[in-house]
Amino acid sequence: MVCGEEKMKKRHVKEYFKDKRVILLFILIIASIISISTLGIQQGLDLKGGSLIQLKLDESVNKETMDIVTTVLDKRLNLYGVQDVKVRSSGDQLVIIEMAGVSPEEVERLIGNPGKFEARIGNESAPVVLTGAEITSVDMYELTDTQWMVPFKVSPIGAQKFAELAKGKGGEKVYMYLDGKLIDKNPLELSPELANGKGATELSVTGGASTIEEAQTRAQSIYTVLKTGSLPVKIKVVGASAVSPELGDLFLNGAIIAGLLAILAISIIIYIKYRKPLLVIPIIITSISEVLIVMGIASVIHWNIDLSAIAGLIASVGTGVDDQIIITDEVLGKQAKGETTEKRRRTRTKMSVKNALFIVFASAGTLIAAMLPLAYVGFARGSSGIGTLAGFAFTTIIGVLVGIFITRPAYAKFVEIFLR
Amino acid sequence: MLEKYMDSYKALIIIPVIVTIIAVGVIAFNGIEEEIELKGGSIAVLELNEPMSSSSLENQLKSSLNKQGLSVNEVDVVSNSGKDVTVQMESEINSTAFDNALAGKGNISSYNAIGPVLSEEAMVQVYWAMAFAFIFMSMTVFIIFRELGPSLGVILAAGSDIIIAIAGMSIFNIPLSIASVGALLMLIGYSVDTDILLTTRILKRSEGTVVERAKEAIKTGMTMSIGAIATMVVLYVVTIVMIPDASTLSDIAAVLMIGLIADILTTWVMNLGILRWYVERKK
Repeated sequence: MVCGEEKMKKRHVKEYFKDKRVILLFILIIASIISISTLGIQQGLDLKGGSLIQLKLDESVNKETMDIVTTVLDKRLNLYGVQDVKVRSSGDQLVIIEMAGVSPEEVERLIGNPGKFEARIGNESAPVVLTGAEITSVDMYELTDTQWMVPFKVSPIGAQKFAELAKGKGGEKVYMYLDGKLIDKNPLELSPELANGKGATELSVTGGASTIEEAQTRAQSIYTVLKTGSLPVKIKVVGASAVSPELGDLFLNGAIIAGLLAILAISIIIYIKYRKPLLVIPIIITSISEVLIVMGIASVIHWNIDLSAIAGLIASVGTGVDDQIIITDEVLGKQAKGETTEKRRRTRTKMSVKNALFIVFASAGTLIAAMLPLAYVGFARGSSGIGTLAGFAFTTIIGVLVGIFITRPAYAKFVEIFLR
Repeated sequence: MLEKYMDSYKALIIIPVIVTIIAVGVIAFNGIEEEIELKGGSIAVLELNEPMSSSSLENQLKSSLNKQGLSVNEVDVVSNSGKDVTVQMESEINSTAFDNALAGKGNISSYNAIGPVLSEEAMVQVYWAMAFAFIFMSMTVFIIFRELGPSLGVILAAGSDIIIAIAGMSIFNIPLSIASVGALLMLIGYSVDTDILLTTRILKRSEGTVVERAKEAIKTGMTMSIGAIATMVVLYVVTIVMIPDASTLSDIAAVLMIGLIADILTTWVMNLGILRWYVERKK
């Protein structure tokens, strides 16, 4: 008799591992572990520490203009040696800058007031010969020993205006301003060939310095100023936030401990309710594999895991436990009514699982429907304001999809085979 | 007991309805706070070098910020553990000015300044996202059950849950924030789980009487609710004890705890009553 039971169990285990959904589940778990350990998980700013700056443009702009703005800002920050910067647009008026390890004040200093570039020749009250709006492009600066050069192009109209105003002023000083402030106390001189009255669209700023380092600094600053000056709209900082890496670590550890304790609490409740230790294990495995697979997907698509994504994970795993309880009760409830033959019992169990999966799919459908507007707002607007909720909505949706198509059917299979 | 209760279902529907009406009253009367991220302002998390009382820190910050020529009406120490302190200010102050005002009493570990321009936009987005989430959820429920009565039951129960949870936020001073809005949306998910379970069991099963089917559903549903509430209690306690600064998580847990408790009432009293009414009328 004991021997027979052993054989039964072996047959059950075999049957379980032959099921397509179970095989898929285990393949995905392994794939997720490999992907997490090789690709790693991108942590959000609130977990790894860093700054987030929100900039607002003076007016809403079209996509091309927005692209120019983000490119210039990105280049500008890179130029200043700020690493790991992400500049994104959010809607048609907001720009979000994320970076690790720089304080918001520093960034505000760098890009807080990128504004209008103007140049005057002769004296500081002379008419403006060139504005940022007329600069169409700025090329990378060139260094030859201590001589430096920043080539740039201006629009034909700008070139014409410049030529007229600069005529005959060769050798006079060129005063450059950013937002009305003089950039250089020792202004450069206008080279004679630019003072011939002929409009040229290709211009350059050149100069010399005493050391190579100094030349590079000067060239870089002029380059950035010209670039900045060619920003089509004014920008102001409307929001800044920073999280220190230590605080981020604390958040992460806290979230992991909370997750583990939550699983423990659920296990205890399941045990008290059903008095079957055999049930606790698959429920824990299902919940953990849901987390693993979602993390695996996140690592493959480079999705940022931040606090709101963790909340989304809790939501999907939480409703997942709900689903597992529904599946278990549906199967156990029918069994209680008793069926005499093994075959009839089997058909009954299959029916019960089918009934349970209807409820599972229906509630998953409503949760996804509720999350869609949030995910949409997030993707349409980037991560400003409520956009951070997109991380939450998106993670919930992925978690629920993984749950209803992979982990929960596999759990149903387990119940179907082992609980009869 | 359950049979008795099932008989007087019409009278019982009134209880959750009254609770929901009271909840609306609480929200209207008590109002609901808005988190800095929605109304604009600054929030700083500090690590103090030496313990300091909340009021003396408030006074110091206030006077030295005003000395810097910034008019600051309100400086609030939200939490103070002696070492880690969270400070909120109603106006937007840059972190350099704040650092000066702190005068070396501690280090800033996190700083947030949010302009009101952004908040106004964020607020509008919050309302739209919530409205659409509810509309989409309702549409899905209609598609699933294709019958007006039961679908309305699920939707009303979810709506009451959200209203009662918002009233709870008002009573316990949980601010309306991006996190708590997320929690309210999560609540839709948890709420429809039990309601769909109940509706499916009552309408789509043939064995047993309605009362028997309801009984079975309550057993399953209560396990689900207790499991979810336990999870949220754990999350809340761990966050409060270990990471008081991660208010994202503790707010979510608190809102869900209130909502899940409300869900027991709305599902097993209100929605069950509505369903029973519907089944009787169909006969």
